[in-house]
Amino acid sequence: MEQLVKFDPGLIFWTWTTFFIVLGILGWKAWRPMLLALEGREARIREALVSAEKARIEAGQLTARYEEQLQVSRQEAQQVIADARMSAEKLRVELEESARKKAYNLLSKAQEQIAADREKALREIRINVVNLSLDVASKVIERNLTTDDNRKLADESLRGIGKA
Amino acid sequence: MATEGHSEDIGSIIIHHVSNSDVLVPLQLFGMDISITKHVIMIWLAGALVMTAFLLGTRRYRREENPIPSGFTNFLEFIVDFVHNQMVVPNVGREHAIRWTPLILAFFTLIVTANLLGMVPFFDLIPGGGTATSNLNVTAALATITFMSIIVAGSMVHGVVGHWKNMAPHGIAWPVLFILIPIEILGMFVRPFALTMRLAANMTAGHIAMLAILAPIFIMANAWVGIGSVTLNVGISFLEIVVALVQAYVFSLLSAVFIGGAINPEH
Repeated sequence: MEQLVKFDPGLIFWTWTTFFIVLGILGWKAWRPMLLALEGREARIREALVSAEKARIEAGQLTARYEEQLQVSRQEAQQVIADARMSAEKLRVELEESARKKAYNLLSKAQEQIAADREKALREIRINVVNLSLDVASKVIERNLTTDDNRKLADESLRGIGKA
Repeated sequence: MATEGHSEDIGSIIIHHVSNSDVLVPLQLFGMDISITKHVIMIWLAGALVMTAFLLGTRRYRREENPIPSGFTNFLEFIVDFVHNQMVVPNVGREHAIRWTPLILAFFTLIVTANLLGMVPFFDLIPGGGTATSNLNVTAALATITFMSIIVAGSMVHGVVGHWKNMAPHGIAWPVLFILIPIEILGMFVRPFALTMRLAANMTAGHIAMLAILAPIFIMANAWVGIGSVTLNVGISFLEIVVALVQAYVFSLLSAVFIGGAINPEH
């Protein structure tokens, strides 16, 4: 049993030597570079996560802003279409009204012209009839004709009216 | 049939199998005996394996600024990350972790390798036990490093006087210090002593148990006993793998806890 608890300074010495050689060489050449790389990677991952979160928030805000703009644009487009439709309707009504007025004016003028021409013709006829009547009357008075002559003259005058 | 003589022989064989060998190469240094024994070879072998694995596995960390690990390097990185984030950072604190992680890594890798090497039957070809960490001299040497590290860590952060002042909690009535200071001084030595005993005892106990279970084969010379003993030992071997890992973890974790206690005495 005493073999198990035997004091062995040589083994203690070699344990220390081995331990410090391992610690010195690996601490310098392996573990420190690895730990620094791990810390660097951890920092990069943390930064990447933070920037990803920031980008996600920004993207969300951007999407909301675009949707809002899209909504505004859609409303504007609808407004433009409604305005255009209203303007077109107004224009159509105006054009129709204007055309109607023009047609009415033309018709009125034509009717007035016809009435004037008719009046003028009637007036000329009346003047001619009066003139002829005067001619006939003067001839009757100048010759003092018989009843047969008067009739004959009247017939001639009437034929003259028909020729005129 | 088992005889008393057989039992005594078996007992001494078991003790022989778990204790150090006789001197293989006699050596002296300034009058001190530093002869090479089997456990010295085993601790060298453990150190050489750890060094080879980490030096080969971390080549790209010395070449590149932002290396991406693959294969075996992933495994090494897992060990380093585990020790750093699970043992050192929670106890020592992130600020001091980079300084103390290599020490805890050295404990963990060296102990776990020595523990597992002791389970490889090949090394039984050399007389003596193959588990260096079952030797109290090895565990005491490692625990002494923890003991010194506690003092160095405390002195580096709080100054030499400040470290010793921190031994007693602040703000307690002075008569209590008469009891507390001796307890704290005792505790200072008990901690590394407990580390020494725990690791060595655990690593020895498993091997003694396995050899004791194999012993009836030679005492009874019965095939059925052989089958039973070997089957049981296969199970115990799996248990021993767990014990090898757990004991390395416990030693390293407690060292980190003690060093952290010296750095952050208020905790």
